[in-house]
Amino acid sequence: MVSDEVLSVRGALRRFEGGHRALCGVDLDIIPGQVTALLGPSGSGKSTLLRAIAGLEHLDDGTIRMGDTLWSGPGKHCPPEIRRVGLVFQDYALFPHMNALDNVAFGLKGADRKERALHQLKHAELAGKARNFPHELSGGEQQRVALARALAPEPSIILLDEPFSGLDRRLRGDVRRRTMTAIRKSGAAALLVTHDAEEALEAADQLALMQDGEIIQTGTPKDVWFNPVSADAARLVGDIDVAQGKVRSGKVESVFGDLPADQMEDGITVDILVRPEGVSVTQGEAFEVSGEDYAGAQVRLELKASDGSLWHAQTSATTGLQRGDRVGLGLDPDFVRIVEQG
Amino acid sequence: MISGSDRAQRPTAALAVAVIAALVCAAPILAVALIALSDGSTDYLRHLAQTRLPTYLWNSFLVGTIAALGAGIIGTGLGWLIARTAFPGRKIFSWVLILPLAVPAYVAAYAWLDLSQAGGPLDALSFGLFPTVRGSLGAGLMFALVLYPYVYLLARDAFAGQSADAYDAARTLGASPLHAFSSTALPMARPAIAAGMALVVMESLADYGTVSHLGAPTLSIGLIRAWSGAGSLLDAARLSLILVAIALFVFGVERLQRRRMRSHAASGRHRPPQRFKLRGGQAFAAFAACAAPLLLGMAIPLGRLVWRALRAPLASGLFDAVQHSLIVATISAILAAILGLSTAYALRSKGFIPVAAARLAGLGYAVPGAVAAVGVIAMLSGIQSVLDPAWRSLTGAVFPILLTASAAALIFAYLSRFAAAAISPAENALARVTPNLEGAARTLGSHGFDLMRRVHWPLIVAGVTSAALLVFVEVLKELPATMILRPFNFDTLAVIAHNYAGDERLGEAAAPALLIALTALIPMIFVARYLSRHASGDE
Repeated sequence: MVSDEVLSVRGALRRFEGGHRALCGVDLDIIPGQVTALLGPSGSGKSTLLRAIAGLEHLDDGTIRMGDTLWSGPGKHCPPEIRRVGLVFQDYALFPHMNALDNVAFGLKGADRKERALHQLKHAELAGKARNFPHELSGGEQQRVALARALAPEPSIILLDEPFSGLDRRLRGDVRRRTMTAIRKSGAAALLVTHDAEEALEAADQLALMQDGEIIQTGTPKDVWFNPVSADAARLVGDIDVAQGKVRSGKVESVFGDLPADQMEDGITVDILVRPEGVSVTQGEAFEVSGEDYAGAQVRLELKASDGSLWHAQTSATTGLQRGDRVGLGLDPDFVRIVEQG
Repeated sequence: MISGSDRAQRPTAALAVAVIAALVCAAPILAVALIALSDGSTDYLRHLAQTRLPTYLWNSFLVGTIAALGAGIIGTGLGWLIARTAFPGRKIFSWVLILPLAVPAYVAAYAWLDLSQAGGPLDALSFGLFPTVRGSLGAGLMFALVLYPYVYLLARDAFAGQSADAYDAARTLGASPLHAFSSTALPMARPAIAAGMALVVMESLADYGTVSHLGAPTLSIGLIRAWSGAGSLLDAARLSLILVAIALFVFGVERLQRRRMRSHAASGRHRPPQRFKLRGGQAFAAFAACAAPLLLGMAIPLGRLVWRALRAPLASGLFDAVQHSLIVATISAILAAILGLSTAYALRSKGFIPVAAARLAGLGYAVPGAVAAVGVIAMLSGIQSVLDPAWRSLTGAVFPILLTASAAALIFAYLSRFAAAAISPAENALARVTPNLEGAARTLGSHGFDLMRRVHWPLIVAGVTSAALLVFVEVLKELPATMILRPFNFDTLAVIAHNYAGDERLGEAAAPALLIALTALIPMIFVARYLSRHASGDE
């Protein structure tokens, strides 16, 4: 029952005991056929939002709609068993007393439910493990059973709560690609909750950044990475160096010289956001190499400016630069953003 | 991140039953305390304090200490052997070693006294050198032989749950294997062992049959003498209060140790320790060590009773007693399971009332059967004295004698003592139904009764059944409360066995004693297998 209905969250508010707000007025649209990644640090409220969409958590205010159907709203809470979203839990939550096949068949009805479940397991390349119980399966296999179980009833939206965090690092990329392929094939809208920036950037069509119960930026992964709206947003998706500055006649003064700030008001304080990937080492004396961090062929240099501020540059490990060497730095304007301080 | 409020759908029915469970468990103690602290002194009590009370206290202390030490040594040793070594028969011993819990200590005492007294086979075979099993030492040993499974179970699971890392760290820091064991594994298991020993002390304090048969008058005996001899509720209540105070102290020790067990659990990643492979003589010694308590606690005493039973006339009233025992044990088991499961459900909300109710109900575990019985009488007579005037003024007649001597009062006393035993197993069983499991089922369209049937029930049924069976066994073995509260002409197996044994008619006592042990053995096998199913490495 794949549909073209958009799931829309408006002004979602959720308070916990003690007055702490897990969600403070969240707006989010999840579009069919797309993977939306919700990226945020732990405690930012992303799991609460996912559980609210599934109906496992009540909203104190705001609405959640699937197309024209109101799922959560003032005085209205449609229970999870009616919503029929597909949900993959961080711990998979496989029923320990059922084998893989029965787990997948759990949400199915009708005489042919076992066949359909087996079909789903075949897709997950797990037909051979249909009779195995969860504790007899590896972590990756458990994850695939959990996904097959969530997809089997053909939900129009599938929610994934940190579904790869329990897996070995080497396995993770492969399992993630398989999972995303299976979800795209199903045509369902997907919401992937994660705190892993790399995972979110790679898997998502749409990226939403969440912090302290609020969505601070949405957009395509590329857009969010290159055009962060704030230092916080920039930090969530990658490494960043930040310096403060003041706008004076369309320019901001920095250790790199004057940077253009055409559309900004005179006199306001701004953050200069610089991604190390956009910083290159040149001839010069302005910066001192104060540290190096090797990662195979690449090295991340820590550089100290004359004013004491620290910057990072990513370069080839073959340059032979050492601590104490003096260099100049060049900036690629695509990797620099100037934003008004929040 | 996850709030409690959405998971718990305010299970008001469960909460109500949890509160009832708490009241059932706490009411007898409260009634005893109220009566005991009421005005009035009696000559009996003053006389008792000057004469036998010190003996009762000293015997209670002696019996409890010997029982705890004996069970501690047997249980710790066997727990370590089963959890950390490999030898032929280990898997079967793992659960069979729990079975002596089915044998009441007084049944073991009947047989061992019979075997070892002057003129008995052991006395004859050893030319009078084998000591007679009697007195505080004899009673303590009997408790050790049948109650060691409490220590064994906790110690086994503690040893099995330990990560090998601490032991290995000790070895790399220069400790010998033995020193590494005594400086890491043993201290890490100590809270579990101490908790088990506290349970043994509580059981020995509650006992009446064993200490009375072997002539080690403890407080329980004093209490029953005060009630049946002097017939004074005030005296009985005051002695009860002393007994409860001691039992609650031991119970407090047990709770404290259980809390420590959690902090002693392995931190970080769990790496199960490798078993020491025992070969040849070592394996034989381990096998013998496991077989010994089974022989001494079950095979020899039960064998002797079979021999006795075959040479004696059948006890009169045996058939009725079997029926009575089965009826009260079954009803109590079912009610206890309901109370336990409801309390466990109510506890899921983590609210103040259910937690307080569960704590209160848990106290019942510390109340010896005789005290529970006195408490029920105190409670019912209290209700009677309150209602009587009103009833008189309304009807002009005397208020009908309340349930002071009815099967219902008896079952009430059983529940107040044993319902607590069903709470934590039910809680453990229910812990398997995690919030995410429930969430998964609900997003897949299952809810309400369907959710209960397909997810809850399959996950909790074994745990709840085993809790009910445990209560069944305990009620079957129970003697002091039954003696005090049983209705006229309502004998249970435990009561007729006790009466015949007290009359030196062991032949007739043998059949009911055996029936208790054998009837208890069947559910105990299920319980033992359930409790050993999750023991690590035995899947």
